[in-house]
Amino acid sequence: MAGFDIQNIKFLVVDDDANMRQLLRTILSSLGVKDIETVSGADPGFAMLGNFQADIAICDLVMQPLDGIEFTRMVRNNADSPNCYLPIIMLTGHAEITAVQKARDAGIHEFMSKPVSPEKLYSKIHNIIETPRVFVRSSDYFGPDRRRRQDPKFKGPERRRNA
Amino acid sequence: MSDEKLEIINPPNALKQKVGTGGPGAVDLEALERAEQVIAGMTDSYLEWVVEDLKKIEAAYNALASASGDGREEMQAVFQVAHDIKGQGGSFGYDMMTAIGNELCRFIEKSKKSGPGEIEAIKLHVDSMKLVIAEDIQGNGGKQGEQMLAGLQKVCDKLIS
Repeated sequence: MAGFDIQNIKFLVVDDDANMRQLLRTILSSLGVKDIETVSGADPGFAMLGNFQADIAICDLVMQPLDGIEFTRMVRNNADSPNCYLPIIMLTGHAEITAVQKARDAGIHEFMSKPVSPEKLYSKIHNIIETPRVFVRSSDYFGPDRRRRQDPKFKGPERRRNA
Repeated sequence: MSDEKLEIINPPNALKQKVGTGGPGAVDLEALERAEQVIAGMTDSYLEWVVEDLKKIEAAYNALASASGDGREEMQAVFQVAHDIKGQGGSFGYDMMTAIGNELCRFIEKSKKSGPGEIEAIKLHVDSMKLVIAEDIQGNGGKQGEQMLAGLQKVCDKLIS
């Protein structure tokens, strides 16, 4: 894994748990990141993007009143979204398949299960930098391409061939 | 739906321009190790946070135990704190807090009601979390941790099956 210098990347942390915000800020700072904003929810997170041009957002899945999926939908689909392509790392204690699918279908880039660690977080950041994702827009989805690998067993319609 | 229009977009990639490869600021194994040490140095802060979270979950439990309605809202309040506890413990070496928090979250998700059995099971989880912190049980807690989790799982399985 090539070591990237990520000090100039701007991060937005969206989590309703103040302790998690502090933990994530500390991890990012200790990895050299200088510009970090933290907010306590989806609405302030979306509003913050108007003033702070984040390069990557880290967002908790389970939040009140709006969750991380709502935040992702706002970023991807709202007409006034400052950056609909913003890479989003979804953080959750719920590493269950349904939660993964929901987050994926809302348009996240990476999924990271808690507890967090510097190594885990950096590997997600590394993936985002190393492998930029193309976006797809269909009638019911806008976000990073959900098919990262060619699946020889894929039986669905090959819509990408005609795109 | 095979004829549905699918638009492929290559978004502008500003990240690569902002990132350097190698050099003194690069995140290598040593940098990760240093970051791990910084987190390990936050254990005292974690222990302060978790004491507050334990007060919160106890208050949420008391509200559930004395709830007059169906208790769903009060159960959800317990879930929220358990979710926070679960998310933090393992980052600071308190893996048992994450494991018990996980067990409690899953139990609440699967519970269809909040009867006396469910309330008692929640109390057992809260008491177990308090014990882990009071006795400073770090890591997976060895044999004691294994027995604690097995006991909690048994209680939960009985109620949700």
